[in-house]
Amino acid sequence: MSAVPEPILEIKSVSKFFGGLAANSDVSFTMDEGMILGLIGPNGAGKTTLFNCITGYYPPTKGEILFKGQRLNGMTPDQVCKLGMVRTWQKVRPLAKLSVLDNVVVGALVRTGSVPEAREIAREQLHVVKMAHKADFLAGGLPIGERKKLEVARVLATKPDLLLLDEVMGGLNPAESEDIIQLILDIKKRGLTQMVIEHDMKAIMRISDRIVVLNSGEKLAEGAPQEVVSNPEVVTAYLGEAHV
Amino acid sequence: MRPSPQSRGLALLPVVLGVAAVVALAILPKYVESPYALQLMVLFFLAVIQGEAWNLIGGYGGQYSVGHAAYFGIGAYTVIVLLQSKGLAPWWGLFPALLLAVVVAAIVGSITFRLRGPYFVLASIAVAEIFRLAALNWKQLTNGAEGILLSGIPPLVIGGAQITDFSSKVPFYYMGLALAVVTVLVTIWFQGSKLGYYLQAIREDQDAANSLGIPLTFYKNVALMISAFFTAFAGALYGLYVGFIDPQTAVGLDISVQIVLTAIIGGIGTVLGPVVGAALLVALSEALRSNVLTDLLIGSGLVDAGSGIGQFLRDNLSHAHMLIYGVLVALTILYMPDGVLGGIKNQLRKRRSRAAAAGGAA
Repeated sequence: MSAVPEPILEIKSVSKFFGGLAANSDVSFTMDEGMILGLIGPNGAGKTTLFNCITGYYPPTKGEILFKGQRLNGMTPDQVCKLGMVRTWQKVRPLAKLSVLDNVVVGALVRTGSVPEAREIAREQLHVVKMAHKADFLAGGLPIGERKKLEVARVLATKPDLLLLDEVMGGLNPAESEDIIQLILDIKKRGLTQMVIEHDMKAIMRISDRIVVLNSGEKLAEGAPQEVVSNPEVVTAYLGEAHV
Repeated sequence: MRPSPQSRGLALLPVVLGVAAVVALAILPKYVESPYALQLMVLFFLAVIQGEAWNLIGGYGGQYSVGHAAYFGIGAYTVIVLLQSKGLAPWWGLFPALLLAVVVAAIVGSITFRLRGPYFVLASIAVAEIFRLAALNWKQLTNGAEGILLSGIPPLVIGGAQITDFSSKVPFYYMGLALAVVTVLVTIWFQGSKLGYYLQAIREDQDAANSLGIPLTFYKNVALMISAFFTAFAGALYGLYVGFIDPQTAVGLDISVQIVLTAIIGGIGTVLGPVVGAALLVALSEALRSNVLTDLLIGSGLVDAGSGIGQFLRDNLSHAHMLIYGVLVALTILYMPDGVLGGIKNQLRKRRSRAAAAGGAA
């Protein structure tokens, strides 16, 4: 008999204040291993702030975050990454003057001190995102779609258990978005857990097992995708009173 | 993808060229006896060591320290003071000198690496100024602004045999060459190591680097400590070679600026950039000092030797090296932001990717 599996991530009443402004207030939810959780909400709802709190860029003002049972408060982003949780950036951050391969090598080096071994890992991850043919290009010269894929390859190379993807489809055309959707589903098949911020509702409905809706820093709703989109409060938050 | 035998042969080419260059430099003093030529070469080697050392933290790590004179001065003063006042031979004095520089680097780094961009640059200048003022005012130890004139270096004796008595420039030539080669080799190792990858990631984007598991301050500190080690070594060599140090020539802001220029003009973040930069800067400062530039302007007929301008240039241009350096840096940053070597590399890369694109289209 195995016990009920512990959640991989627990967000417990997390609040983040900037001066008097509550960017997150009293947000709680949990994630089980292997799931994809969609994090949605209008602009300014506090999605990226929550990412920053979870990954150690900001200390939460209140509340606590547990990853694999371990309390993260006060940890720096590099320590969080070593524990197995890593994020991508809404505004992509390629290491512009390094080659595509070397960008991924940097990610892989968190798990090994050997550069040749890191290069092996990096090549594998470039295959996963179908960018092996671009290995020797400068990262700074890539078009946006490939930059987004490079971000994903780079975080995959850190061998994470939990991936936080911040709008990896933002600014992409439909074909590129479809690529990313397939990539996210592939990653899920390999057993990784993912939290995804996305504005494209169709995409988020397709990939998410659960959805958490933030509005003005608070958790507005949580549930299965269909449940959430038919929730009148969520519709109001997105479209305004008149549509209800 | 395995490299073809042909490309493997090409990869050996830099090694062959490098070894040939070092061998040529090693036998040079057998054929060239002119003290002037040897003097220029020693200055060149010293500039290479400093440029390569700075390049580790400044070029690869993107942390533009304009305070490396602090480590240069620590190296020079520690060795010279210990030799002059305690009679400690410089090859023993080097140990405390280098250790002190590395410890100071760790402390300075832990404080200043919290700062980013221009704030870090300003802090690095301030730290070096603190050391210059200390050298100026701690008179019992440093003899203040008068400086220390070295009365002699004891002969180096190993196993009863005298290796050298340091009376000519040749031993300094070989020490400079050896250390310059070591710094180039260290840079080659650094570039392919985890440390080098991490420093480059930090240069490109600190937040992204941090999110990928890189503890920023720790890796910056390690690179700065290696950098300070070689900078202090160069300082010690300089002090022994010139036989005189004072706060301005051993810890002055000029030194910090020249170190940065060597790397920037040659090409930061490349193995050979500082070598190219050192050659250019030593040649330029020598040309200015000996008025070659003025002679050139007059010889070309642009300036009349008898006129007021000709006289003015002849009297003043030789002291204007800092001014010329400034112009040179402005030009480099405007037209060749990656330095002379970086500019060439970019051109090659462009041509290659254009060829690749053409090949892909065909």
